[in-house]
Amino acid sequence: MSLLSWRGWKASLVFVSVVLAACGGGNQSAAPLAGCNSGTTLATFWTSHTPPDSDSLKHIVDAFNKQSTATCVKMVQVPGSETDIAKLTTAVRSGTGPDVYMLDRFTVAERAAAGVLEDLSQYGAQDLASNYVDFAWAEATFKGKPYALPFDTDTRAMYYRKDLLQAAGITDLSALDPANGPPTIDTVRAMANKVNHKTGGAYDVVGFIPWINQGWHYTWGFVYGGSFFDKSGCKVTPNDPKIVQAYTDMFTNWSKSLGVDAVQTFISSYSPPNQPTQQDPFLTGHLGFVISGDWVLGQIATYTPNLKYGVTYIPVPKKGDQPATWAGGWSDVIPKNAKNAKGGYEFMKYIAGEPGQRVYTKETQHTPTIKSLQSDSSLFPGDHQFFIKQLSAAHSRPPLPVGAFYWDQLSTAQDAAVRNTAAPQAALDAAATATNAKLQPFCPLA
Amino acid sequence: MTVAQKEASRLAARRRPARRWGRFFNKTVPESLGPRLILIVMCALFLLPFWSMATAAFKTTQELSTFPPTFFPLGLEWSNFSTAVNYIPFGTFFINSVILTTGIALGAAISNPLIAYGFSRINWPGRDVLFGIVMATIFIPFPVLIVALFDIFAKLGWINTFLPMIVPAFFGNPFFIFLMRQFFRGLPGEISEAARIDGANEFQTFLYVILPLARPAVAVVVIFAAVAAWGEFLAPLLYLQDEAKYPLSIGLQFYRQEHAVSYNLLMAASTLIVLPVVALFIAFQRFFIEGVTVGSVKG
Amino acid sequence: MIAAPRLHLSKADRRNLRTAAPFILPWVIGFFAFTLYPIVYSLYLSFTSYSGFGNATPVGFANYQHLASDPLFFKSLWNTLYYTGLAVPIGLVVAIVLALAMNQKVREVAIYRAAIYLPSILPLFALTFIFIVLLNPRFGFVNYLLSLVGVPTINWLGDPKWTKFSVVLLAQLGAGGPALIFLAALRAVPGELYESASLDGAGALRRFRHITLPLITPVILYDLIYGTILGVQIFTPAFILVGGTSGGAAYTAGPDNSLLFYVFYLYKEAFQYSDMGIASAMAWILFLISVVLSVIIMRWSRFWVHYEVS
Repeated sequence: MSLLSWRGWKASLVFVSVVLAACGGGNQSAAPLAGCNSGTTLATFWTSHTPPDSDSLKHIVDAFNKQSTATCVKMVQVPGSETDIAKLTTAVRSGTGPDVYMLDRFTVAERAAAGVLEDLSQYGAQDLASNYVDFAWAEATFKGKPYALPFDTDTRAMYYRKDLLQAAGITDLSALDPANGPPTIDTVRAMANKVNHKTGGAYDVVGFIPWINQGWHYTWGFVYGGSFFDKSGCKVTPNDPKIVQAYTDMFTNWSKSLGVDAVQTFISSYSPPNQPTQQDPFLTGHLGFVISGDWVLGQIATYTPNLKYGVTYIPVPKKGDQPATWAGGWSDVIPKNAKNAKGGYEFMKYIAGEPGQRVYTKETQHTPTIKSLQSDSSLFPGDHQFFIKQLSAAHSRPPLPVGAFYWDQLSTAQDAAVRNTAAPQAALDAAATATNAKLQPFCPLA
Repeated sequence: MTVAQKEASRLAARRRPARRWGRFFNKTVPESLGPRLILIVMCALFLLPFWSMATAAFKTTQELSTFPPTFFPLGLEWSNFSTAVNYIPFGTFFINSVILTTGIALGAAISNPLIAYGFSRINWPGRDVLFGIVMATIFIPFPVLIVALFDIFAKLGWINTFLPMIVPAFFGNPFFIFLMRQFFRGLPGEISEAARIDGANEFQTFLYVILPLARPAVAVVVIFAAVAAWGEFLAPLLYLQDEAKYPLSIGLQFYRQEHAVSYNLLMAASTLIVLPVVALFIAFQRFFIEGVTVGSVKG
Repeated sequence: MIAAPRLHLSKADRRNLRTAAPFILPWVIGFFAFTLYPIVYSLYLSFTSYSGFGNATPVGFANYQHLASDPLFFKSLWNTLYYTGLAVPIGLVVAIVLALAMNQKVREVAIYRAAIYLPSILPLFALTFIFIVLLNPRFGFVNYLLSLVGVPTINWLGDPKWTKFSVVLLAQLGAGGPALIFLAALRAVPGELYESASLDGAGALRRFRHITLPLITPVILYDLIYGTILGVQIFTPAFILVGGTSGGAAYTAGPDNSLLFYVFYLYKEAFQYSDMGIASAMAWILFLISVVLSVIIMRWSRFWVHYEVS
């Protein structure tokens, strides 16, 4: 096949096209570690957070690296979520895992039970217990031992777009003033229905979709006064009648009233998987109300600073009901087979300690778990105060050794209810059976 | 696209009745009209996804969400390509894909002719039975093995390297063995006889006599192995942990999950991924076409 | 095939065996290392509880019993069989129709052939990305074109009734390869058969039914078996469409878990829930299903496949 033959030219054609396609790709994904002090050993930190939160984490990492003489941290963004740590477990299994991982706090017990995490008492973590708010520390322990350092927490509330509501002809927004207590679901429903708008037979604006963003099963379950876990009986109770009612009202029936297929089409169009935050439908004017957490304040500040919005309690079923919300949040853990666990722990104390949490709170408007920071009101400008005030009465998810599994079961039931493919009672009964089967071996819980 | 195909997609978009086809093709033999119509419509359907990809790759983010969607981008946003390549670690993913593909193609080129030779040019007891087993392994879907293979490779310390994907390529693949065997069986026995008379042993016969004649078949194996390796998804997903090692397949998907890639950038990146294969096809079309049909006609 | 009794190999046989051994050795080693051993090891793991960490503790049939009472297991099985049941026949028909069209006297057939075959060699993951844009209910071309002929909006990737069909459509982009094989088979049919048939007054449809179809049945069989084996393995498009194991808003694999294909659930069990014992049990069940399906198709083929007597 000489170069002068036609075949030679064809081969060169392929080669050139390959080179062209590679052109401009001088990008290195593993950037050299700038900002490391000499004499430091490397520690890797994995997180599944996305921008803008991951940007703030990066700032914290940089600040840590500047002041540490022993450790230099490399932050890596990995795929994952609150309940999906597939990446972590496969990496740990094959000895390629990180030294520190950002883990959703309510799953700490489950992962510790599976043997994925290092017991932190060997590093003296017990001494830090008093720095943190109680419920956060409780979530970070398993069988009395600390397996995580709490990082942030958050509460949920309802955001609404003043501009969209006014454009829909709603002039009286006093029901949405937190000073008047939580609005009723019926009030919100009436307003939302005015905001709904279709073009060409499909929704392009929807007033309120209760289940998206943070409108989870836990959210409405707590709002309706349901209980998810029976400690004395060591069993989960997703089929608590109040939770079933919440599913029926806010998932099944609400979806039906909007049109099950129509609302799903709207969600697929405006909120597909892996969508960038800037295109979130609430921020871009396609949703009137949304249940979400305090971090949205940070997103608004970053992407849509001139947004005309308001914040109030999550709506309640009947007038006079107490408002309810729940607090979640993340934590830092050291997975098994970490190569530089000591360096990792040094970093953890920083990021999950006062310096890191202070930066994160200011930049992303999440809530800290360090007691001293929670009482520093300078950290919570404007609307963030509302979320902080909710903290003391906030529920939290039961920290079970099957926490992540339970979440997925509740979510499957939620999905079935929203799509009207199963009745809430039946779906939640199934969730109870499956979860309790997995929970049994761990009973009685500490 | 040819004029005929461009016209076809535009007309398909406007759904004109069949009478226009008659006027357009009034010179052709009437009995080819039906099949031609079917062919053009099917081509248009097959090319529609790529038209969608190409237009999206050139649209701005605002234009992506205009309704109704525009069939021709208002302007050519070339910057999407450079942004995609810089914002996503495209170069790294690309190089990893090239390394994987080259390794796998090399393994296929070396092992399959060798193995096929043993199954075709030498007559030994149990040969056909064992070949039956080789073919039977096609019925074992790869996913059946992934849990065990992951555990085995983890214990070997091969996770997060390219080894679990490249090394098995050096041990043969039933499809390629079949292909090479078909080819070898078509070569006259006298060639081997002549070589034997000249004093060559079996391996020398293979290397200096048979293999040179088999260049087209080996080329087919290399091309198919390379094309398959370029699109590999499950194996890299299992075995690679480090973003710096991801090939384009999982690299792009994970990057989407972590950093939210806008669709125009994603389509620009997809265009760049597809181009080398298209170029390969244009250059070596004959090998693809012939390779696909080797031996599969005679049930 | 007569199995030669081991102790009675002739000298020539033994010599040939020794000569052939180094050639086929790579395959033999590979078979034991990468196929046979993993299958046996998988069987062993399926009777253990193994998180991937620490040791595998034997638990008897517990994993299989768990699967028998797991609604998601049956859903994933249903999803895969439903998909295969749609994709294989549809793919077969599409490939044959394309081949028939390409077999006619059309001068520029090479162009059509290239346009139809090319998508089948493009990487599936790239095609999946393309389909995400193409099938967007509001902004994608497909729904827009359909709306021009009055078809109401279809939520391809968000409606559980349509998601699997979307993957079937995606799979049709690969019809080019089988189409070429059918084309070769069609071209191998001797023209005289058609001539004598038309002389006897048989129309095109009868010629197809009684001449073409029987003679291409071996290729149909090949396509059915290969298509089925590929179908039961379906994974990549589902993974990408739902955004991996963590992309879905409701933490399900697609709306109502409609894209939870068997291999996807297997992957989740092994790597998301860290239950390698259950995943291994699922792997073995998949193996058995593949074998059973292949045997069924082979047995059934005896009734309709005409092997050419040369």
